[in-house]
Amino acid sequence: MRWKISTFDFFEILTIIITFIVIIFTTALILAIVLKGIPYLGAAFYSEEVRFSIRLSLYTASIATLICMLLAIPTAYALTRTVFPFKKACQMIIELPLSMPYLVLGLSLLIIFSSDFGKALKELGFKVVFDKNGIIIAQTVVNLPFAIRFIRTAFEEVDERLEFISGSLGATKWERFITITLPLARNGIFSTIILTWSRALGEFGATLMLVGATRMKTETLTTSIYLNLATGDTGASMASATVILIISLLSLFLTNWIGRKNKQESRMKDVNRW
Amino acid sequence: MVNAMVEINNYSVQLGKFKLNQINLNIGEKEIFAVLGRTGSGKTVLLESVAGFYRKFSGKVMIQGIPVIDVPLEKRNIGFVYQDFGLFPHMTVFDNITYGLKIRKMDKGVQKERVDKMAEILSIGHILKQYPGTLSGGERQRTALARALILNPQLLLMDEPFSSLDPATKENMYEQINKIHDIFGCTILFVTHDFNEAQRMADRIGIMVNGELKAVRKSTDLFEWCQDEEINQFLGRNYEGSVHE
Repeated sequence: MRWKISTFDFFEILTIIITFIVIIFTTALILAIVLKGIPYLGAAFYSEEVRFSIRLSLYTASIATLICMLLAIPTAYALTRTVFPFKKACQMIIELPLSMPYLVLGLSLLIIFSSDFGKALKELGFKVVFDKNGIIIAQTVVNLPFAIRFIRTAFEEVDERLEFISGSLGATKWERFITITLPLARNGIFSTIILTWSRALGEFGATLMLVGATRMKTETLTTSIYLNLATGDTGASMASATVILIISLLSLFLTNWIGRKNKQESRMKDVNRW
Repeated sequence: MVNAMVEINNYSVQLGKFKLNQINLNIGEKEIFAVLGRTGSGKTVLLESVAGFYRKFSGKVMIQGIPVIDVPLEKRNIGFVYQDFGLFPHMTVFDNITYGLKIRKMDKGVQKERVDKMAEILSIGHILKQYPGTLSGGERQRTALARALILNPQLLLMDEPFSSLDPATKENMYEQINKIHDIFGCTILFVTHDFNEAQRMADRIGIMVNGELKAVRKSTDLFEWCQDEEINQFLGRNYEGSVHE
Protein backbone atom coordinates (compact mmCIF):
# COMPACT_ATOMS: atom_id res chain seq x y z
CA MET A 1 0.00 0.00 0.00
CA ARG A 2 1.33 3.43 -0.96
CA TRP A 3 2.03 5.80 1.88
CA LYS A 4 -0.11 8.91 1.64
CA ILE A 5 0.24 12.26 3.34
CA SER A 6 -3.40 12.77 4.16
CA THR A 7 -3.46 15.74 6.51
CA PHE A 8 -0.31 17.64 5.60
CA ASP A 9 1.31 18.02 2.26
CA PHE A 10 4.93 18.94 1.75
CA PHE A 11 4.21 22.65 1.37
CA GLU A 12 2.35 22.82 4.68
CA ILE A 13 5.10 20.89 6.49
CA LEU A 14 7.69 23.31 5.10
CA THR A 15 5.73 26.36 6.27
CA ILE A 16 5.34 24.84 9.75
CA ILE A 17 9.09 24.11 9.98
CA ILE A 18 9.92 27.69 8.97
CA THR A 19 7.41 28.99 11.51
CA PHE A 20 9.14 27.00 14.27
CA ILE A 21 12.56 28.38 13.24
CA VAL A 22 11.12 31.91 13.53
CA ILE A 23 9.59 31.06 16.93
CA ILE A 24 12.89 29.65 18.25
CA PHE A 25 14.78 32.75 17.09
CA THR A 26 12.23 35.15 18.61
CA THR A 27 12.06 33.22 21.89
CA ALA A 28 15.85 33.28 22.13
CA LEU A 29 15.78 37.09 21.74
CA ILE A 30 13.17 37.47 24.47
CA LEU A 31 14.83 34.98 26.84
CA ALA A 32 18.22 36.69 26.43
CA ILE A 33 16.72 39.82 27.98
CA VAL A 34 14.34 38.21 30.48
CA LEU A 35 16.84 35.73 31.98
CA LYS A 36 19.50 38.39 32.44
CA GLY A 37 17.08 41.15 33.47
CA ILE A 38 14.75 39.46 35.97
CA PRO A 39 17.35 39.17 38.78
CA TYR A 40 17.82 42.95 38.61
CA LEU A 41 14.14 43.79 38.17
CA GLY A 42 13.29 44.06 41.90
CA ALA A 43 16.19 46.39 42.62
CA ALA A 44 15.41 48.41 39.51
CA PHE A 45 11.91 49.26 40.75
CA TYR A 46 13.40 50.70 43.96
CA SER A 47 15.82 52.79 41.87
CA GLU A 48 14.66 56.40 41.60
CA GLU A 49 16.34 56.64 38.20
CA VAL A 50 14.49 53.65 36.69
CA ARG A 51 11.20 54.82 38.18
CA PHE A 52 11.83 58.27 36.64
CA SER A 53 12.55 56.73 33.22
CA ILE A 54 9.40 54.57 33.39
CA ARG A 55 7.26 57.60 34.33
CA LEU A 56 8.83 59.78 31.62
CA SER A 57 8.48 57.05 28.98
CA LEU A 58 4.84 56.35 29.82
CA TYR A 59 4.01 60.08 29.86
CA THR A 60 5.78 61.01 26.62
CA ALA A 61 4.62 57.88 24.75
CA SER A 62 1.00 58.48 25.78
CA ILE A 63 1.01 62.16 24.74
CA ALA A 64 2.83 61.34 21.48
CA THR A 65 0.28 58.59 20.71
CA LEU A 66 -2.59 60.97 21.37
CA ILE A 67 -1.09 63.59 19.03
CA CYS A 68 -0.36 60.93 16.40
CA MET A 69 -3.96 59.72 16.44
CA LEU A 70 -5.40 63.24 16.35
CA LEU A 71 -3.33 63.92 13.24
CA ALA A 72 -3.42 60.45 11.64
CA ILE A 73 -7.20 59.84 11.62
CA PRO A 74 -8.18 63.00 9.67
CA THR A 75 -5.15 62.64 7.39
CA ALA A 76 -5.94 59.00 6.62
CA TYR A 77 -9.57 59.96 5.97
CA ALA A 78 -8.53 62.72 3.56
CA LEU A 79 -6.17 60.35 1.74
CA THR A 80 -8.79 57.63 1.35
CA ARG A 81 -12.10 59.46 1.04
CA THR A 82 -11.52 62.87 -0.50
CA VAL A 83 -10.31 64.20 -3.82
CA PHE A 84 -7.73 66.99 -3.88
CA PRO A 85 -4.91 68.03 -6.21
CA PHE A 86 -1.55 66.22 -6.02
CA LYS A 87 -2.97 63.61 -3.65
CA LYS A 88 -0.42 60.94 -4.64
CA ALA A 89 2.47 63.36 -4.17
CA CYS A 90 1.07 64.37 -0.76
CA GLN A 91 0.83 60.73 0.25
CA MET A 92 4.45 60.14 -0.77
CA ILE A 93 5.63 63.14 1.24
CA ILE A 94 3.67 61.99 4.29
CA GLU A 95 5.14 58.50 4.09
CA LEU A 96 8.68 59.57 3.21
CA PRO A 97 9.89 59.45 6.84
CA LEU A 98 9.06 55.71 6.85
CA SER A 99 12.19 55.10 4.79
CA MET A 100 14.39 57.62 6.65
CA PRO A 101 16.77 56.58 9.44
CA TYR A 102 15.53 57.91 12.79
CA LEU A 103 18.87 59.59 13.43
CA VAL A 104 18.35 61.64 10.27
CA LEU A 105 14.82 62.52 11.38
CA GLY A 106 16.22 63.56 14.74
CA LEU A 107 18.86 65.67 13.03
CA SER A 108 16.14 67.40 10.96
CA LEU A 109 14.22 68.14 14.15
CA LEU A 110 17.36 69.46 15.80
CA ILE A 111 18.00 71.82 12.86
CA ILE A 112 14.38 73.06 12.90
CA PHE A 113 14.19 73.59 16.66
CA SER A 114 17.69 75.10 16.91
CA SER A 115 16.73 77.69 14.31
CA ASP A 116 15.15 81.08 14.95
CA PHE A 117 11.77 79.33 14.92
CA GLY A 118 12.89 77.06 17.77
CA LYS A 119 14.36 80.00 19.66
CA ALA A 120 11.07 81.91 19.25
CA LEU A 121 9.19 78.91 20.65
CA LYS A 122 11.61 78.77 23.59
CA GLU A 123 11.00 82.44 24.33
CA LEU A 124 7.27 81.72 24.31
CA GLY A 125 7.91 79.10 26.99
CA PHE A 126 7.86 75.99 24.78
CA LYS A 127 11.31 74.48 25.02
CA VAL A 128 12.05 71.55 22.73
CA VAL A 129 15.81 70.88 22.49
CA PHE A 130 17.10 69.02 25.58
CA ASP A 131 13.59 69.02 27.05
CA LYS A 132 10.85 66.41 27.51
CA ASN A 133 8.73 68.28 24.94
CA GLY A 134 11.41 67.28 22.47
CA ILE A 135 10.92 63.62 23.39
CA ILE A 136 7.21 63.93 22.61
CA ILE A 137 7.94 65.64 19.30
CA ALA A 138 10.55 63.06 18.32
CA GLN A 139 8.22 60.16 19.19
CA THR A 140 5.37 61.82 17.28
CA VAL A 141 7.41 62.52 14.15
CA VAL A 142 8.82 59.00 14.04
CA ASN A 143 5.45 57.32 14.54
CA LEU A 144 3.09 59.57 12.63
CA PRO A 145 3.76 58.11 9.14
CA PHE A 146 3.27 54.58 10.55
CA ALA A 147 0.02 55.58 12.22
CA ILE A 148 -1.25 57.25 9.04
CA ARG A 149 -0.37 54.25 6.91
CA PHE A 150 -2.02 51.75 9.28
CA ILE A 151 -5.19 53.82 9.66
CA ARG A 152 -5.27 54.48 5.91
CA THR A 153 -5.21 50.71 5.38
CA ALA A 154 -7.94 50.27 8.00
CA PHE A 155 -10.12 52.87 6.22
CA GLU A 156 -9.42 51.34 2.81
CA GLU A 157 -10.68 48.01 4.09
CA VAL A 158 -14.06 49.53 4.95
CA ASP A 159 -16.42 48.94 2.04
CA GLU A 160 -17.19 52.41 0.64
CA ARG A 161 -20.55 51.14 -0.58
CA LEU A 162 -21.64 50.87 3.06
CA GLU A 163 -20.86 54.56 3.47
CA PHE A 164 -22.78 55.24 0.26
CA ILE A 165 -25.79 53.32 1.57
CA SER A 166 -25.49 55.17 4.87
CA GLY A 167 -25.54 58.45 2.92
CA SER A 168 -28.57 57.33 0.93
CA LEU A 169 -30.29 56.70 4.28
CA GLY A 170 -29.75 60.35 5.21
CA ALA A 171 -26.36 60.40 6.96
CA THR A 172 -24.07 63.37 6.36
CA LYS A 173 -20.37 62.75 5.68
CA TRP A 174 -19.58 63.29 9.35
CA GLU A 175 -22.37 60.90 10.43
CA ARG A 176 -21.16 58.30 7.90
CA PHE A 177 -17.66 58.59 9.34
CA ILE A 178 -18.81 58.31 12.95
CA THR A 179 -21.40 55.55 12.50
CA ILE A 180 -19.89 53.43 9.71
CA THR A 181 -16.25 54.11 8.84
CA LEU A 182 -14.89 54.52 12.35
CA PRO A 183 -16.69 51.53 13.95
CA LEU A 184 -15.78 49.25 11.05
CA ALA A 185 -12.13 50.37 11.19
CA ARG A 186 -12.00 50.17 14.99
CA ASN A 187 -9.85 47.04 15.16
CA GLY A 188 -7.25 48.66 12.92
CA ILE A 189 -7.43 51.89 14.91
CA PHE A 190 -7.06 50.17 18.31
CA SER A 191 -4.13 48.14 16.99
CA THR A 192 -2.55 51.32 15.62
CA ILE A 193 -2.95 53.07 18.99
CA ILE A 194 -1.27 50.22 20.83
CA LEU A 195 1.45 49.80 18.21
CA THR A 196 2.16 53.54 18.09
CA TRP A 197 2.37 53.66 21.87
CA SER A 198 4.73 50.66 22.02
CA ARG A 199 6.91 52.13 19.27
CA ALA A 200 6.97 55.52 21.00
CA LEU A 201 8.04 53.76 24.19
CA GLY A 202 10.93 52.14 22.34
CA GLU A 203 11.99 55.22 20.33
CA PHE A 204 15.62 56.15 20.76
CA GLY A 205 17.46 57.49 17.67
CA ALA A 206 15.51 60.68 16.96
CA THR A 207 15.07 61.36 20.68
CA LEU A 208 18.80 61.10 21.29
CA MET A 209 19.53 63.60 18.50
CA LEU A 210 16.97 66.13 19.72
CA VAL A 211 17.15 65.97 23.51
CA GLY A 212 20.39 64.09 24.17
CA ALA A 213 20.75 61.58 27.02
CA THR A 214 20.76 63.37 30.37
CA ARG A 215 20.20 61.36 33.55
CA MET A 216 16.97 62.18 35.37
CA LYS A 217 16.06 64.81 32.80
CA THR A 218 15.56 63.31 29.36
CA GLU A 219 16.09 59.72 30.50
CA THR A 220 13.44 57.48 28.95
CA LEU A 221 13.60 53.69 29.30
CA THR A 222 15.60 53.30 26.10
CA THR A 223 17.91 56.16 27.06
CA SER A 224 18.34 54.47 30.44
CA ILE A 225 19.46 51.25 28.70
CA TYR A 226 21.96 53.26 26.66
CA LEU A 227 23.30 55.30 29.60
CA ASN A 228 23.66 52.30 31.92
CA LEU A 229 25.31 50.19 29.26
CA ALA A 230 27.73 53.05 28.48
CA THR A 231 28.72 53.24 32.16
CA GLY A 232 29.08 49.48 32.48
CA ASP A 233 25.95 48.92 34.61
CA THR A 234 24.68 45.91 32.65
CA GLY A 235 22.21 44.90 35.36
CA ALA A 236 20.34 48.22 35.29
CA SER A 237 20.30 48.08 31.47
CA MET A 238 18.81 44.61 31.51
CA ALA A 239 16.21 45.65 34.09
CA SER A 240 15.08 48.59 31.93
CA ALA A 241 15.03 46.33 28.87
CA THR A 242 12.89 43.81 30.77
CA VAL A 243 10.43 46.57 31.74
CA ILE A 244 10.10 47.56 28.06
CA LEU A 245 9.64 43.90 27.13
CA ILE A 246 6.89 43.41 29.73
CA ILE A 247 5.07 46.53 28.47
CA SER A 248 5.43 45.31 24.87
CA LEU A 249 4.02 41.88 25.76
CA LEU A 250 1.09 43.48 27.59
CA SER A 251 0.45 45.66 24.50
CA LEU A 252 0.50 42.62 22.26
CA PHE A 253 -1.96 40.71 24.47
CA LEU A 254 -4.20 43.79 24.60
CA THR A 255 -4.16 44.09 20.79
CA ASN A 256 -5.10 40.43 20.38
CA TRP A 257 -7.77 40.66 23.06
CA ILE A 258 -9.36 43.70 21.41
CA GLY A 259 -9.23 41.94 18.03
CA ARG A 260 -11.00 38.90 19.47
CA LYS A 261 -13.56 40.97 21.37
CA ASN A 262 -14.55 42.92 18.28
CA LYS A 263 -14.88 39.96 15.94
CA GLN A 264 -18.22 40.03 14.10
CA GLU A 265 -20.69 37.22 14.60
CA SER A 266 -20.67 35.00 11.56
CA ARG A 267 -22.34 31.87 10.26
CA MET A 268 -18.84 30.79 9.15
CA LYS A 269 -17.41 30.73 12.69
CA ASP A 270 -18.08 27.01 13.16
CA VAL A 271 -16.91 25.99 9.70
CA ASN A 272 -13.74 23.88 9.71
CA ARG A 273 -10.71 24.58 7.55
CA TRP A 274 -11.08 22.91 4.20
CA MET B 1 -46.05 59.21 -20.67
CA VAL B 2 -46.59 59.94 -16.98
CA ASN B 3 -44.26 62.40 -15.17
CA ALA B 4 -40.67 61.19 -15.28
CA MET B 5 -39.10 60.18 -11.98
CA VAL B 6 -35.75 59.39 -13.63
CA GLU B 7 -34.40 61.04 -16.78
CA ILE B 8 -31.09 59.91 -18.21
CA ASN B 9 -29.75 61.92 -21.15
CA ASN B 10 -26.65 60.91 -23.15
CA TYR B 11 -25.04 59.53 -20.02
CA SER B 12 -21.60 57.91 -20.35
CA VAL B 13 -19.13 56.82 -17.70
CA GLN B 14 -15.74 55.15 -18.15
CA LEU B 15 -14.60 52.66 -15.49
CA GLY B 16 -11.23 51.20 -16.45
CA LYS B 17 -11.78 49.37 -19.74
CA PHE B 18 -15.55 49.31 -19.35
CA LYS B 19 -17.72 52.10 -20.67
CA LEU B 20 -21.37 52.74 -20.06
CA ASN B 21 -22.16 54.36 -23.36
CA GLN B 22 -24.68 57.08 -24.28
CA ILE B 23 -27.60 55.98 -22.12
CA ASN B 24 -30.96 57.62 -22.73
CA LEU B 25 -33.88 56.54 -20.57
CA ASN B 26 -36.99 57.92 -18.87
CA ILE B 27 -38.68 56.12 -16.01
CA GLY B 28 -42.12 57.28 -14.90
CA GLU B 29 -43.39 57.89 -11.39
CA LYS B 30 -44.52 54.70 -9.61
CA GLU B 31 -43.24 52.63 -12.54
CA ILE B 32 -41.41 49.34 -11.97
CA PHE B 33 -38.56 49.20 -14.46
CA ALA B 34 -36.19 46.27 -14.92
CA VAL B 35 -32.76 46.42 -16.52
CA LEU B 36 -31.96 43.09 -18.09
CA GLY B 37 -28.54 42.03 -19.27
CA ARG B 38 -25.73 39.53 -19.04
CA THR B 39 -23.11 39.67 -16.29
CA GLY B 40 -20.71 42.53 -17.08
CA SER B 41 -23.15 44.34 -19.37
CA GLY B 42 -23.20 47.42 -17.13
CA LYS B 43 -26.49 46.94 -15.25
CA THR B 44 -25.06 47.71 -11.81
CA VAL B 45 -23.09 50.69 -13.15
CA LEU B 46 -26.33 52.08 -14.61
CA LEU B 47 -28.07 51.62 -11.26
CA GLU B 48 -25.21 53.28 -9.38
CA SER B 49 -25.19 56.09 -11.94
CA VAL B 50 -28.85 56.79 -11.23
CA ALA B 51 -27.97 56.99 -7.53
CA GLY B 52 -25.17 59.46 -8.35
CA PHE B 53 -22.33 57.15 -7.32
CA TYR B 54 -19.79 58.32 -9.92
CA ARG B 55 -17.97 61.63 -9.99
CA LYS B 56 -16.59 61.61 -13.54
CA PHE B 57 -19.15 61.19 -16.31
CA SER B 58 -20.71 62.96 -19.26
CA GLY B 59 -24.41 63.57 -19.84
CA LYS B 60 -27.13 63.96 -17.25
CA VAL B 61 -29.05 61.91 -14.72
CA MET B 62 -32.02 63.71 -13.23
CA ILE B 63 -34.44 62.67 -10.52
CA GLN B 64 -37.71 64.59 -10.60
CA GLY B 65 -36.09 67.10 -12.94
CA ILE B 66 -33.08 67.86 -10.72
CA PRO B 67 -29.57 66.60 -11.63
CA VAL B 68 -28.83 63.89 -9.09
CA ILE B 69 -25.31 65.13 -8.34
CA ASP B 70 -26.65 68.60 -7.49
CA VAL B 71 -28.44 67.11 -4.49
CA PRO B 72 -26.32 65.96 -1.51
CA LEU B 73 -26.44 62.17 -1.17
CA GLU B 74 -28.24 62.37 2.18
CA LYS B 75 -31.05 64.43 0.66
CA ARG B 76 -31.70 62.36 -2.50
CA ASN B 77 -34.38 60.18 -0.89
CA ILE B 78 -33.23 57.06 -2.73
CA GLY B 79 -33.40 53.55 -1.32
CA PHE B 80 -30.56 51.31 -2.50
CA VAL B 81 -30.45 47.53 -2.15
CA TYR B 82 -27.19 45.94 -3.31
CA GLN B 83 -26.79 42.42 -4.64
CA ASP B 84 -24.94 41.45 -1.45
CA PHE B 85 -27.41 43.66 0.47
CA GLY B 86 -24.76 45.94 2.05
CA LEU B 87 -25.99 45.51 5.61
CA PHE B 88 -23.94 47.22 8.30
CA PRO B 89 -22.16 44.25 9.89
CA HIS B 90 -21.61 45.92 13.27
CA MET B 91 -25.31 46.61 13.82
CA THR B 92 -28.22 44.32 14.63
CA VAL B 93 -31.08 43.92 12.16
CA PHE B 94 -33.12 46.37 14.27
CA ASP B 95 -30.30 48.94 14.23
CA ASN B 96 -29.80 48.45 10.49
CA ILE B 97 -33.49 49.07 9.80
CA THR B 98 -33.77 52.06 12.13
CA TYR B 99 -30.46 53.61 10.96
CA GLY B 100 -32.12 56.22 8.74
CA LEU B 101 -34.72 57.01 11.41
CA LYS B 102 -32.04 57.50 14.07
CA ILE B 103 -30.09 59.78 11.73
CA ARG B 104 -33.29 61.84 11.42
CA LYS B 105 -33.53 61.79 15.23
CA MET B 106 -37.01 60.32 15.06
CA ASP B 107 -38.81 59.54 18.29
CA LYS B 108 -38.02 56.03 19.61
CA GLY B 109 -41.70 55.14 19.84
CA VAL B 110 -42.24 56.06 16.19
CA GLN B 111 -39.12 54.08 15.28
CA LYS B 112 -40.48 50.97 16.98
CA GLU B 113 -43.89 51.43 15.43
CA ARG B 114 -42.41 51.69 11.93
CA VAL B 115 -40.08 48.72 12.46
CA ASP B 116 -42.96 46.60 13.72
CA LYS B 117 -45.00 47.47 10.62
CA MET B 118 -42.09 46.71 8.31
CA ALA B 119 -41.23 43.51 10.18
CA GLU B 120 -44.81 42.35 9.71
CA ILE B 121 -44.84 43.09 5.98
CA LEU B 122 -41.49 41.38 5.41
CA SER B 123 -41.79 38.66 8.11
CA ILE B 124 -38.55 39.54 9.91
CA GLY B 125 -39.84 40.08 13.44
CA HIS B 126 -37.91 37.03 14.70
CA ILE B 127 -34.47 38.25 13.57
CA LEU B 128 -34.47 41.85 14.81
CA LYS B 129 -31.86 41.17 17.51
CA GLN B 130 -29.51 39.22 15.26
CA TYR B 131 -26.42 40.48 13.45
CA PRO B 132 -26.26 40.31 9.62
CA GLY B 133 -23.46 37.71 9.74
CA THR B 134 -25.87 35.17 11.23
CA LEU B 135 -28.70 35.63 8.69
CA SER B 136 -29.63 33.59 5.63
CA GLY B 137 -29.65 35.17 2.16
CA GLY B 138 -33.40 35.71 2.22
CA GLU B 139 -33.33 37.25 5.68
CA ARG B 140 -30.53 39.61 4.67
CA GLN B 141 -32.42 40.65 1.60
CA ARG B 142 -35.60 41.38 3.52
CA THR B 143 -33.57 43.33 6.10
CA ALA B 144 -31.97 45.42 3.34
CA LEU B 145 -35.41 46.06 1.82
CA ALA B 146 -36.86 47.02 5.19
CA ARG B 147 -33.97 49.44 5.82
CA ALA B 148 -34.45 51.08 2.43
CA LEU B 149 -38.26 51.21 2.58
CA ILE B 150 -38.72 52.43 6.13
CA LEU B 151 -37.85 55.96 4.94
CA ASN B 152 -40.51 55.88 2.20
CA PRO B 153 -38.04 56.63 -0.61
CA GLN B 154 -39.37 58.15 -3.81
CA LEU B 155 -37.08 55.82 -5.77
CA LEU B 156 -36.00 52.29 -4.86
CA LEU B 157 -32.93 50.93 -6.66
CA MET B 158 -32.22 47.21 -6.40
CA ASP B 159 -29.21 45.37 -7.77
CA GLU B 160 -30.10 41.75 -8.57
CA PRO B 161 -31.96 41.56 -5.28
CA PHE B 162 -33.28 38.04 -5.74
CA SER B 163 -30.26 36.32 -7.26
CA SER B 164 -29.23 34.52 -4.08
CA LEU B 165 -32.69 33.26 -3.19
CA ASP B 166 -34.22 29.83 -3.71
CA PRO B 167 -37.26 29.60 -6.07
CA ALA B 168 -39.86 29.47 -3.29
CA THR B 169 -38.40 32.48 -1.47
CA LYS B 170 -38.16 34.31 -4.80
CA GLU B 171 -41.87 33.78 -5.45
CA ASN B 172 -42.62 35.05 -1.99
CA MET B 173 -40.40 38.10 -2.51
CA TYR B 174 -42.04 38.97 -5.87
CA GLU B 175 -45.35 39.15 -4.05
CA GLN B 176 -43.86 41.17 -1.21
CA ILE B 177 -42.25 43.67 -3.59
CA ASN B 178 -45.56 44.13 -5.39
CA LYS B 179 -47.23 44.59 -2.02
CA ILE B 180 -44.57 47.14 -1.02
CA HIS B 181 -45.04 48.95 -4.33
CA ASP B 182 -48.79 49.15 -3.73
CA ILE B 183 -48.35 50.37 -0.15
CA PHE B 184 -45.51 52.85 -0.61
CA GLY B 185 -46.09 53.87 -4.21
CA CYS B 186 -42.40 54.29 -4.95
CA THR B 187 -40.71 54.03 -8.34
CA ILE B 188 -38.66 50.85 -8.54
CA LEU B 189 -35.65 50.36 -10.79
CA PHE B 190 -33.99 46.98 -10.50
CA VAL B 191 -31.44 45.01 -12.45
CA THR B 192 -31.55 41.33 -13.14
CA HIS B 193 -30.37 38.70 -15.61
CA ASP B 194 -33.50 36.62 -15.11
CA PHE B 195 -36.05 37.05 -17.95
CA ASN B 196 -38.88 35.54 -15.90
CA GLU B 197 -38.16 37.80 -12.96
CA ALA B 198 -38.08 40.90 -15.17
CA GLN B 199 -41.40 39.97 -16.79
CA ARG B 200 -43.05 39.05 -13.50
CA MET B 201 -42.05 42.25 -11.74
CA ALA B 202 -41.63 45.07 -14.21
CA ASP B 203 -43.91 47.31 -16.27
CA ARG B 204 -41.10 47.94 -18.75
CA ILE B 205 -37.74 46.31 -19.36
CA GLY B 206 -34.49 47.78 -20.69
CA ILE B 207 -32.02 45.45 -22.37
CA MET B 208 -28.33 46.17 -21.77
CA VAL B 209 -25.63 44.75 -24.03
CA ASN B 210 -21.93 45.66 -23.59
CA GLY B 211 -22.54 48.95 -21.79
CA GLU B 212 -25.33 50.11 -24.10
CA LEU B 213 -29.06 50.26 -23.49
CA LYS B 214 -30.12 48.49 -26.69
CA ALA B 215 -33.88 48.47 -26.25
CA VAL B 216 -36.71 49.40 -23.91
CA ARG B 217 -39.87 47.28 -24.10
CA LYS B 218 -43.08 46.61 -22.28
CA SER B 219 -42.60 43.46 -20.24
CA THR B 220 -45.35 41.74 -22.22
CA ASP B 221 -43.39 42.39 -25.42
CA LEU B 222 -39.99 41.30 -24.14
CA PHE B 223 -39.44 38.52 -26.65
CA GLU B 224 -40.60 40.43 -29.72
CA TRP B 225 -38.28 39.91 -32.67
CA CYS B 226 -36.28 42.92 -33.85
CA GLN B 227 -33.55 43.78 -36.36
CA ASP B 228 -30.80 44.01 -33.75
CA GLU B 229 -28.85 40.75 -33.81
CA GLU B 230 -27.30 41.28 -30.37
CA ILE B 231 -30.74 41.64 -28.75
CA ASN B 232 -32.09 38.60 -30.55
CA GLN B 233 -29.05 36.61 -29.49
CA PHE B 234 -29.39 37.75 -25.87
CA LEU B 235 -33.10 36.86 -25.86
CA GLY B 236 -32.35 33.49 -27.41
CA ARG B 237 -34.01 34.18 -30.78
CA ASN B 238 -32.27 33.24 -34.00
CA TYR B 239 -35.04 34.12 -36.44
CA GLU B 240 -38.51 35.64 -36.37
CA GLY B 241 -40.97 33.57 -34.42
CA SER B 242 -38.52 31.25 -32.68
CA VAL B 243 -37.43 31.46 -29.06
CA HIS B 244 -34.79 29.18 -27.55
CA GLU B 245 -35.82 28.30 -24.06
